[in-house]
Amino acid sequence: MRLREIALVAAREVRDALRSRWFVLAAGCFFALSLGLSMLGLAGAQRSGLAGFDRTTASLLNLALLFVPLLTLSLGGLGIAGELEDGSLAMLLSQPITRFDAYAGKYLGLLAAVSASILVGFGATGVIVGVSAGGGNVRGFATLVALTLLLGAATLSIGTLLSVALRTRARVIGAAFAVWLLLVYVSDLGTIGLTIARNLGPAQIFILALLNPVQQARVLGTLTLSQRLDVLGPVGVFGLDQFGMVGLTVLLLSVLVATAAAPLACGYVWFRRTPVT
Amino acid sequence: MIVATDLCLTLEERVILDHVSFKVARGESVALVGPNGSGKTSILRCLLGLVPFEGRILVHGHDAVREPIAVRTLLSYVPQKAAFGDAPAAEVLAFVATLRRIDRARIPETLRAVGLEAHASERVRTFSGGMQQRLSLALALLSDTPVLLLDEPSASLDHDGQQTFFDIVARLRKRGHTLLLASHRPEEVESLTDRVLHLDCGRMVGDVAPPTKLARVIALSARGERR
Repeated sequence: MRLREIALVAAREVRDALRSRWFVLAAGCFFALSLGLSMLGLAGAQRSGLAGFDRTTASLLNLALLFVPLLTLSLGGLGIAGELEDGSLAMLLSQPITRFDAYAGKYLGLLAAVSASILVGFGATGVIVGVSAGGGNVRGFATLVALTLLLGAATLSIGTLLSVALRTRARVIGAAFAVWLLLVYVSDLGTIGLTIARNLGPAQIFILALLNPVQQARVLGTLTLSQRLDVLGPVGVFGLDQFGMVGLTVLLLSVLVATAAAPLACGYVWFRRTPVT
Repeated sequence: MIVATDLCLTLEERVILDHVSFKVARGESVALVGPNGSGKTSILRCLLGLVPFEGRILVHGHDAVREPIAVRTLLSYVPQKAAFGDAPAAEVLAFVATLRRIDRARIPETLRAVGLEAHASERVRTFSGGMQQRLSLALALLSDTPVLLLDEPSASLDHDGQQTFFDIVARLRKRGHTLLLASHRPEEVESLTDRVLHLDCGRMVGDVAPPTKLARVIALSARGERR
C-alpha cells in the first residue's frame, strides 16, 4: 500500500468535492436542517422540560437516515463515472500510481469531505444545544455522530460500486436515486408487504433489516437513545431478545462495517479490470 | 527503448489490436498512422496500462503489466482530448509535481513555455480545447520523462499553438527523448518523426522509414483507404 500516493489522490478529491456545487449545496442543506431541527428541539425542550440532547439526537437521527445516504450515494456515484466520462481518469491513471492508489484515494477523499460536512452540521448543533440546554445524553449524541459517519461510509461504498459498474453520470445518478429510494422507503414498505403476504416471522424480518444499512443504523441509533420496546420496533425487540444489548450492538456494528467494506472491495475488483478509454 | 510483442486487445467483443509488434529505439521518434479505428490510440493506452491487453510491452526493460509504476514513471501522455476536472491550471501541475517528486518551482516556467502563464489560476474546465492541449503538454514538460506518448497532440491548437508545440517537441527530440506519436497530420509526422508505423484494422501493415514515402502513407491513412 502506497500511503503517500493515496493521500495525494484523497486530497485532490477533497478539493474537487469542495468545488462541486452539488456537494456544497447538499452540505449546506444538511447544516441548515441540523440547525433548524436542533432549534425546534430546544423550543420543545424548554416547554416540556426534557434534556436538550435527547430530543435533538432523536430528530437528527431521522435527518441523518434520510439525508446522508442521498448525499453519499450520488457523490460516490459521480466519483469514478464522472472522471471516466470526461477523460480525467485517464490523465490520473497515466501518472505513476496504481489503480488501488486511485481507487482508495478517491474513496477516502470523498469520505473525508462527507465526514467534514457531517461534523460541521452536527458539531454546530451540538455546541448550540450544549450551551442552550446544558446536559442530557451527550454520549448518545456523540454515538449518533459516529453512527452517521459509519452509515455515510457504507452508502458511499455502494455509490462507488455503482460508479464503477455503470460508468456514465446519467446512469449512475438514476441508479443512486433508485437505491436511495429502496434503502430509505421501499425496503420498509417491502418488508411490511412481505410480512403480510408471506407471513414472515420476527427472525426473517430481522434478517431483512440486516440487509439494509439504513435499517442497521436506525436500530443502532434507537438502541442508543432508548431501550423501550415500543420505541425499538419489532426488529429491535427481536434482536434485543435474541442477542442482548451488547450482542445486538456488536452484531449491527459488524454488519454495518461489512456493508461498507463489501461493496468497496467488489468495486475495486471491477475497477482493476475496467478499460479506461 | 519500447518493445511491444504480439499485442492483442479486444473491447466489447470487438478486436481493436490484432497481434501487433514493434520496437522503438531509445531517442527515436516514431509515428503511428492509420485510418480512424485502426488502433493508434489503443497502442498508447496499452503502454499506459489503461486497457487490459494480451501480449507484452517492455519500456526501458520494465514490463508494463508487472511493473506499471516503473513504466508510467518513464512515460508522459498528451491525449487527443485532455481533461483535468475543475481544478485551476497551477493546481493540476502542482498535483503531478508532488506525485512525481518534481520541484514545484518549475511550474511557472513550464506554464510560460506553453503560453499559459496568464491563466495559471483559472479553472481548467473553462479552458478551450487548445488551452487544455497546451496544459497537457505542460504536464509532459514538467514531468520531463524519457518517453513521450502523443495522441493527435496538435489537433486542437491554433497556428501559434502548433508552432510552439513543434518547437517544444523538436527541443525534446534534440535532448534524446523517445517519441511515439499517433497522428493524422502530414506536417506533424514529417517534421517530428523518423519512422512511420502504419496500422489498419488493428494490424501493423507497414513500417516506413524513408521520409519520401511518408506523405503517401499519411494521405492514404487520412482517406481511410486500404493498401
